[in-house]
Amino acid sequence: MAAVAAAVAPTRMELLRLKQRVSLAQRGHDLLREKMDALVIEFFEVLRSIGKARAGALKQLSLAHQAMSVCSAVMGTIETRQASREAKRELEVEISTRHVMGIVVPTLEVERVERDALARGYSLHTTSSTLDEASKEFEKALGLLVKLAELEESARAIARELERTKRRVNALEYILIPRLKAALKFIEMRLDEMERENFSRLKRIKAMLEAGA
Amino acid sequence: MNVDRVLKFELSRLNVHLPERRISLKEALESAKPQVAARDGSIHTFKQEELDLLAKIVPEVDWGRLQLPILIALDPKLGRGAARITGETEVRAIGQILGKKGKGEELLIYRPEVAIVRGKLPTTTQYFFVPG
Amino acid sequence: MSYKVVVIGDVDTATGFALAGVSYTYVHVDKDGTLAKLTEFIASEEIGLVLVTHPIAEELGAEFRRMMRTKKLLPVVLRIPDKTGYIPKVDELYELIKRTVGAEIVVRAEEG
Repeated sequence: MAAVAAAVAPTRMELLRLKQRVSLAQRGHDLLREKMDALVIEFFEVLRSIGKARAGALKQLSLAHQAMSVCSAVMGTIETRQASREAKRELEVEISTRHVMGIVVPTLEVERVERDALARGYSLHTTSSTLDEASKEFEKALGLLVKLAELEESARAIARELERTKRRVNALEYILIPRLKAALKFIEMRLDEMERENFSRLKRIKAMLEAGA
Repeated sequence: MNVDRVLKFELSRLNVHLPERRISLKEALESAKPQVAARDGSIHTFKQEELDLLAKIVPEVDWGRLQLPILIALDPKLGRGAARITGETEVRAIGQILGKKGKGEELLIYRPEVAIVRGKLPTTTQYFFVPG
Repeated sequence: MSYKVVVIGDVDTATGFALAGVSYTYVHVDKDGTLAKLTEFIASEEIGLVLVTHPIAEELGAEFRRMMRTKKLLPVVLRIPDKTGYIPKVDELYELIKRTVGAEIVVRAEEG
């Protein structure tokens, strides 16, 4: 603390500059704290959605695996895998971005994941309806997982930015602003001191002059 | 001083997510890919379900007037936890979302209400940090 | 923009998602092979989403975590349970919440 203060010349100019710096730092701190508060709101909003989305997606995925077990039992494991190789693999996910206060977060959307049996591409003659069932359940699961992916990625991005912002706010509140205020106080004290010394010196001179006269 | 530089950098970044130019609800509804470009060039997409919700609660005559994204202004002068909505159409729309009467050019809302608005309109609203 | 979806998993997971129409499935055999494939997927400009099962992600260990930390915005990587429904005991997201907003909030969330 003293080291910083000693490096600064105790002048009125410096006092003014320091006051401005304190004001800027204070304003910056308040703004960043607003950002931090807002990020917390965003974070909890995403988490709330994630809870629900996860439960739904995992349940559906489990159903999908069950449906495929049924299919393998009916059609045979090898035949099921063969059919999967024949299936058309043209699924696409539409990815764009959205902004949350300084961070870019992906948005994911799948167009109509659920196809009908013909569109899937495997031969209908050699496969059973249980295959259609399994495919449908996996298509549903995929749709839910895509939504979940967006939410989890958002949560991570927001958490990172929140941690960064928190560190800035703390650095300002516990390091920079107290340091600036201490330097400010030091200069004010020194200026007062110098003024008092000057004042008493002038008094002495006056007394000397009056005595000599 | 290092922290000073970091501070200046962070403050300059505060509103970087905001678009150069906003678009009206009407424009967004008519567009196949409703989006705006942020100051740094990256794209911000509006979700269709939010646009549809706004179309329902805002009378059609106002669709050309409502500017997106709706700005939620955070000004430390308002006190921690308070936010401001400006613009007659915007005030009415947000008022509708919150189930209260929004009249006039300005509306002050508080943290739990901000959370509700952000929850319902995550891409069609944005925070705006008032530098002052 | 449109992107592809790929899956890294065991043979059942791969079969299932192939039926759902994902562009490419990779069946995990060993750590090195899978890491190489994952690296390839992450570097690809065409792939937007990678699904990896939890057991495999765990086996890939620190290297997987490093890749997640250093990768760009895309592709998004999501960990999913396999047929057994296995989810690791340590929930990464839960830990993230605790680290970010403090244990106190987590306790309140559990109660509420």
